[in-house]
Amino acid sequence: MQMKRISVAVLVGCAAMLLPRIAFAHAHLLSSTPAASATVHGPDVAIELRFNSRVDGRHSVLTLVTADGHTAAVFLDNQSAENNLKAHAALKPGSYTLRWQALSTDGHITRGEIPFTVR
Amino acid sequence: MIWFVRDFDLLSLLLRALSFALEALAFGGVFFLLFAARPANLDSESQARLRCVAAGFALALAVTQIALIAATSAVLIGSSGMGLRDVISAAYFIAGTIFVAASLTLSLLLRVTSKLTLAALPGLVALAASVSLSHAASRMDHRLLLVVLTAGHHLGMAAWIGALLFLLIALRLNRDAEISRQMARRFSAMAVISVATLIFAGAGLSWFYAGSWQGIYGTSYGLILSAKIVLTALILTLGAGNFLLLRRVESDPAPLLLRLRRFSEAEIGLGFTVILAAASLTAQSPSVDETPQDTLTGHQVAERMEWRWPSFHTPSFSQLAPPTPLSVAVREATYTGGSVSDANDRAWSEYNHHWAGLIVLAAGALALIARLPRQGWARHWPLLFLGLSIFILLRADPECWPLGPRPFWASFTAPDVLEHRAYAVLIAVFSIFEWGVQTGRLRQPRARFVFPVLCAAGGALLLTHTHALGEGTDEVYAELSHTPIALLGAVAGWGRWLELRLDDRAVPQESRPRRIAAWVWPACLVLIGLLLLNYRES
Repeated sequence: MQMKRISVAVLVGCAAMLLPRIAFAHAHLLSSTPAASATVHGPDVAIELRFNSRVDGRHSVLTLVTADGHTAAVFLDNQSAENNLKAHAALKPGSYTLRWQALSTDGHITRGEIPFTVR
Repeated sequence: MIWFVRDFDLLSLLLRALSFALEALAFGGVFFLLFAARPANLDSESQARLRCVAAGFALALAVTQIALIAATSAVLIGSSGMGLRDVISAAYFIAGTIFVAASLTLSLLLRVTSKLTLAALPGLVALAASVSLSHAASRMDHRLLLVVLTAGHHLGMAAWIGALLFLLIALRLNRDAEISRQMARRFSAMAVISVATLIFAGAGLSWFYAGSWQGIYGTSYGLILSAKIVLTALILTLGAGNFLLLRRVESDPAPLLLRLRRFSEAEIGLGFTVILAAASLTAQSPSVDETPQDTLTGHQVAERMEWRWPSFHTPSFSQLAPPTPLSVAVREATYTGGSVSDANDRAWSEYNHHWAGLIVLAAGALALIARLPRQGWARHWPLLFLGLSIFILLRADPECWPLGPRPFWASFTAPDVLEHRAYAVLIAVFSIFEWGVQTGRLRQPRARFVFPVLCAAGGALLLTHTHALGEGTDEVYAELSHTPIALLGAVAGWGRWLELRLDDRAVPQESRPRRIAAWVWPACLVLIGLLLLNYRES
């Protein structure tokens, strides 16, 4: 009986160990167009994000944030490769932040943002 | 919703770690029954009880997976405007649903039939679903090979650490020394094969994910991987001790089997710490994907580990960067990983670590002195940890209550604050219990185990701990101290556990292993103190 109690204590202890770290880095962004802090010519801006792993293009999300804080969803094109997200946007000159949320095929969600300027 | 999105990162890893552990236990039960209990002719009633335990773990695995699917789906629906119909077509949802169905079937079959080969089928389906949710399945290169290696890694862990718990339960249930000896021998043979599989698959995965030696010592992923390797080596050392015990078991089975059980408990505890590290790795980008800007060189690591006398000067609270409103900080951290620390933030954090180091060093030294004759006064060493707990609560998160403007409860939404608070509670609880034990005020047998369990838990918790230090190598610098401290914490906890558990009437007092364990854990505390005193964030 004592053994049982100790086993339970061990398991509870192990469960207590399981507090996690922040999951920011699973589908890792390798490169992007526009690049972070880049200046691009408008109004037609091609957006392409390349990741280190396969991402689910149907369930990933891109959002553009303008300098005054307005947000707009960006519709994704069909994936040209399993680790790419592609889109097009018509943008006026100004500063923007592209926020991305990628769902990797193993179920991890990762997020990030890319500031850029349209001339 | 933004709060949930932020906390989802916490919840997701918690559930993944739990899933890894339960998978190893459920599969381990099947392995033990198939290759040890049944061939050793363990009685049918005991076998039925073992099947029941394995079925419970399989059921818990299904529930954990349901929770994981639900949390991921809730975030997707909440943050992207997708409907449930869209979400159910995602790969994770399909694989997770298969995982749940296979785990439930495994649980049901283990309860209703003794035909284990039948139960192995849903077990294999569950394994395939689990691997399809791993790093390997989402890689662009060498995917098939990585999937096979990952499956081998999972199976090796289950057949070793998972099955080991079932050996302990079976040894407890069984009264026949010969059957116990047979089971232990068969488990030992199975463990040799599973360890070989585990190491071979682990080495292969490390080759692809670390990419180079610099990928081992220069990134967060590599450092946690190193911790896994060191812990595995420790468990192997304990396992080798058990292997040698088994060779002598025929001469005097009862006390040797008891010692084998005690070593096995520490093996299981350290084994679950390894599983935790594995779950932590799933949240890290493999080293091979890191840029040179995010990777430390050998020279930088050597420079960082070089001893420097600690500074006990702190910037004043007013010198720290003013905290942003919590709602803004949480939203920003959701996409960027947190604000970058400035020199004052670093100095504040280093001062905290240095004082903590001094306290832990003093506690370890006193615990060593307390082992000497006529030095009973030193047994009050756990009270030092109470001071550490209050120190952490006051200073670890200056932007939060009581120093900063963020209120007590709202600040828990930041995962690193939550972890600091958990540490403060953990340390306070074990210091009070251990002080009672050391000074003879607490005589309940179970009270003795609070310190080792929480110390080991704290070590493992630190293995998962992170600061939102932003981009670059800041996080890796912090890990260079945290990772060895985590390892020493786990070793200290299980060392103390062994010292207590080997203190049994059936085992000679102050046996050699017990004597070693009794010196190991205070020495670990001293080393932790020294590492904290040498802590730097750049």
